[in-house]
Amino acid sequence: MTITLVASSLLVGGFAFLIADKITTILLDSARSDVRQRVTSGASYAAKQVSFYGQPQEAQLQETIDGTVNYLAGGDPQQTSGVVVAITANDYPNDIQTRTSPSANVQSLISPELRAAIADGKVASQIRTGRLTGETTKYLVYGSPVPTRFGQIELYYLVPLGRQDVTAADARATVVATGVALVILLGLLAALVTRLVVNPVRVAARTAQRLSAGLLDQRMVVNGEDDLALLAASFNQMATNLQRQILRLEEMSRLQRRFTSDVSHELRTPLTTVRMAADLIFAERDEFDPAVARSAELLQAELDRFEELLTDLLEISRFDAGFAMLDSEPTDLVPVVHRVVDRLAGLAERVGVPIELDLPGTPVIAEVDPRRVERVLRNLVGNAVEHGEARPVLITLGIDETAVAITVRDHGVGLKVGEEKLVFNRFWRADPSRARQTGGTGLGLSISLEDARLHGGWLEAWGAPGQGAQFRLTLPARAGDRLTTSPLRLVPADAALPFGGPRDGGPLAIGPGTGGALAIGPAPAGDGQRTEVRS
Amino acid sequence: MRRPTVLGALGVMVLLGAGCGIPAASDVRVDGKGGAATEAGVISRGSEPPTRTASGSDNGAFVRNFLSAAAGEPDRAYERVKAFIAPEDKTRLQDKKGSEVALNVVRLREAVYTLNSDSTTTVKIAVQQLGVLRTNGTLAPPVATETEYEFGLRPASFNGGANDDRAGFYVINPPNVLLLSDTALREYYQDETIYFWSSDRSRLVPDQRYRPQAVPVERQVNEVVKWLVGGPSDWLRPGVVGLPDRTELINNATGGNGRWEVNLDMSGDDQNGIDQLITQIAWSLGDLTGQLELKIRNNAQPVVDLGERRDSRVLYPYATGPQRFGVYDGAIHPLDFDGEPSGTVPLTPEANRNVVSASLGLAKDRRILAAMAVTGSGKNRYRLAVGTGADPVAVLSRSGTEYSSISRPVWLRTVDNRPSRGLVVADGQLYRFDEAARMYPVPLNLPSAAVTAVAAALDGQRVALIAGGRLYVAAVNLDGGGVSIGPPRELVTSLTNPTAVDWGREDQLVVAGSVGQPAIYEISVDGALETPLRTDLGAKVTHLTAYPTNRGVRAPSGAYMYEANGVAYRSSPFERIEPGRVRDIAPVPTGVRPSNPSAPFFLY
Repeated sequence: MTITLVASSLLVGGFAFLIADKITTILLDSARSDVRQRVTSGASYAAKQVSFYGQPQEAQLQETIDGTVNYLAGGDPQQTSGVVVAITANDYPNDIQTRTSPSANVQSLISPELRAAIADGKVASQIRTGRLTGETTKYLVYGSPVPTRFGQIELYYLVPLGRQDVTAADARATVVATGVALVILLGLLAALVTRLVVNPVRVAARTAQRLSAGLLDQRMVVNGEDDLALLAASFNQMATNLQRQILRLEEMSRLQRRFTSDVSHELRTPLTTVRMAADLIFAERDEFDPAVARSAELLQAELDRFEELLTDLLEISRFDAGFAMLDSEPTDLVPVVHRVVDRLAGLAERVGVPIELDLPGTPVIAEVDPRRVERVLRNLVGNAVEHGEARPVLITLGIDETAVAITVRDHGVGLKVGEEKLVFNRFWRADPSRARQTGGTGLGLSISLEDARLHGGWLEAWGAPGQGAQFRLTLPARAGDRLTTSPLRLVPADAALPFGGPRDGGPLAIGPGTGGALAIGPAPAGDGQRTEVRS
Repeated sequence: MRRPTVLGALGVMVLLGAGCGIPAASDVRVDGKGGAATEAGVISRGSEPPTRTASGSDNGAFVRNFLSAAAGEPDRAYERVKAFIAPEDKTRLQDKKGSEVALNVVRLREAVYTLNSDSTTTVKIAVQQLGVLRTNGTLAPPVATETEYEFGLRPASFNGGANDDRAGFYVINPPNVLLLSDTALREYYQDETIYFWSSDRSRLVPDQRYRPQAVPVERQVNEVVKWLVGGPSDWLRPGVVGLPDRTELINNATGGNGRWEVNLDMSGDDQNGIDQLITQIAWSLGDLTGQLELKIRNNAQPVVDLGERRDSRVLYPYATGPQRFGVYDGAIHPLDFDGEPSGTVPLTPEANRNVVSASLGLAKDRRILAAMAVTGSGKNRYRLAVGTGADPVAVLSRSGTEYSSISRPVWLRTVDNRPSRGLVVADGQLYRFDEAARMYPVPLNLPSAAVTAVAAALDGQRVALIAGGRLYVAAVNLDGGGVSIGPPRELVTSLTNPTAVDWGREDQLVVAGSVGQPAIYEISVDGALETPLRTDLGAKVTHLTAYPTNRGVRAPSGAYMYEANGVAYRSSPFERIEPGRVRDIAPVPTGVRPSNPSAPFFLY
């Protein structure tokens, strides 16, 4: 609507300008040609009148000039047309006095430029504003040289443009009033259209926004039977179906979580009993048959895993139920890292994976829940050691003003493309057929992700086949802050670029690829040219 | 946000609409060259009086030049005269402005130069006051009575080094008037005749004016129209009408190259009157040719060719050329001269008896107007006899009273069919008479009532009178069937004791009088210009007639005949009118001395 108003205002204004300007031009032109005619005939009359005189000093010359001026002004000094006729003698100021009719001081209205133009023998005109006989008025000052036998005198007509000015102002006022009325009318029309069309659409948009924000009970008002009403009805139908579906899914999800939680709790009690029995059997295994003793050991190990699984399931169900609480406190992360490494040192030694640390020399203080951070780190380092393939695992701790980050880098088989997201899924495995060595529950990374989210932090993974993987945990330095950047890079510095990347110092060849694509690849060896651009 | 934007847009619109009115000031816009320049250079001027130093050390010439100095355009007359006056005495001559400027025209009789011991010269000039030359070109009767002026001369180099002849003189103790000698009037002025309509608007009556020759030719029309607007000379007013009251010339009458524009602010839109005005202007412009465009209050009248207008509207209807007649043995007889037509006497022999002097005229309808002084019942008793009618006139009416003297009667010529009237002097009294010879005294406003001669001008609106030994002119008013004579204007002439007068030209009188001895002069109607015609007459002229000419009729120019001591003479060639010239007379018996023809006159 604003654009409509602005555009129409400009358009109408432009037209108003054109019309008013045209009217003014026509008025001025007609006044000019009228006065020019009078000046020309007046100058020729005056030239005839003064043609008797061979010298400017002749006494009757002044009388003749007086008479001429009076005659050209209409003869009657009382006349009220306002036109002032003047004869001046620029070249003979001492001999010939300026005469005007009706008497007025015209010198102020005759500018030096006009005087110069007429002294140069030209007929010239100028518009000036001044006061001669009545009030201050715009005057069209028209001048013409009057040739005489002794030189040149000048004839001026000073014609008031009051009538033209009033006419132009009237026309202008009319045009402007019409334009304003037109613009106001357009504005009213635009407002009406807005009310009729745009407002319902806007209401619909707001309703849809609220709906998408989760307020599923938002509905549109259905008025009448037009297209908008149809839209509103359809929208309401859609919202109802959506709401029903979502509620159903929520209910199912809730039931599922409840089931998981309940099962976990219900399993805990018999498990405790089983555990106590198994502990007893395990303690007495030396007295049993070696085969039975081996079974007791297996039972003990699987019970440990079962217990771990139950613990993880309960933890997950707590997250799902929204009962997880963050217990933040300022914590130095360096000891946390050391603790985790110490606890996994045995496993690492067993599988022959050296753990390397890259930690700052100063304490890295952040407002975090140390228990959860430690659990996340344990999980990440454990995974790294497990998939380390006897190659070193690097743990790096970084900090900046707003965030702390910990990366865990291994050099195992790595992740395939797309597996960076899948690793956080519950019970996901990279290779289902692979034997579990450390007996992970498959819930560790899911819980770690939830822990990171609970802190308002990020947990991300990077991996490439054959290049190992790197996980990065980024947490805000103060609880509740929003993260924008991480102090450490997700992709490790020693990772190879996609497609092999450029060879060291080798040229790249850019050329047509398959299917019209642009192919970038290593340049053919021995080409000799470092860079070649072909068009 | 939205409201300010809309308001802003509206504001822009209003500004756009309002920004394009008539500007309060603009640049100079040049439309091209102005009108073509009039031809530059000096205006063709006539002669102007010499300057102070022109006379060198000749004090006689200096005085003559001093008496000429005022000649020229009146508005600078004081300036020119003051150039002759010594700087210390310039204030003695007090300036007058505009129409107040008047030049005392004097006839210089005598100049006496007395050299003083301080190397100045006292000049005494004896003058005759001729009149006052006014700015409107008229020579009014004199107002000053001085017959002598006295002033001094001193060499211009009186106070400075060597006495250089070329430095000339200065006038000291100047008279406090502008003096102009009659020779200067003749030399530096052009006498012009302008015309006014007679009071019955039937004829144009001449009025004499003087135009300074310094006035350029281009302004002639302007001057003439101004004179016409200004009205006739005072003495002429009873017989003529001027332009309507409050008539004004709007600015100057302009023109050149055969086209003249006159713009008058005149009341009345009587087309006949305007036509008469055009005729009046055409004749008043003299011999000027070209087109005249008359505008009455900017309304242009049809353009008139001046020459054609003068040709189509003749001044006075002349019937024929002049025929000379004379009185021989109491009867009128034609006079016969070689190369001139001579007519027959338009009277029957019965009527043509006892004639002393006669005046015959041709009226418009070719009627003969005959008026005669005839002998009465006794010696030195005379009557007036008048007869009108077709040629020959047989019946005469005679006046009821006899007079001891009766002059030659004159007819006041008219151009219409009104009864003719004439004037005659009888026993020192001016009478008018009608076609029935009834005579009525005409009162004259003159100090001396003893009228001795009367002459009527061709236009019939002016008369010349001699009364009490002085010469007068006066206007005649014929309105209402009567004849009244306006206030006579005395003419100052060199002639003393004028005895006979007649009109020689429109503005010239032929006067017989005495300058020591009897003489005949041609004198302008204002008396200022005199031309001696004959100065060697042996006897007093008792009878004088002239054939008046005007611009319409040229020949014979200046023809006049007179009678002195009982002998008739004619002019050009000057000779005595012998009895042999008289036609239709019985042969004179040998031995008898033939009587002389007397009282010759022209029939026209």
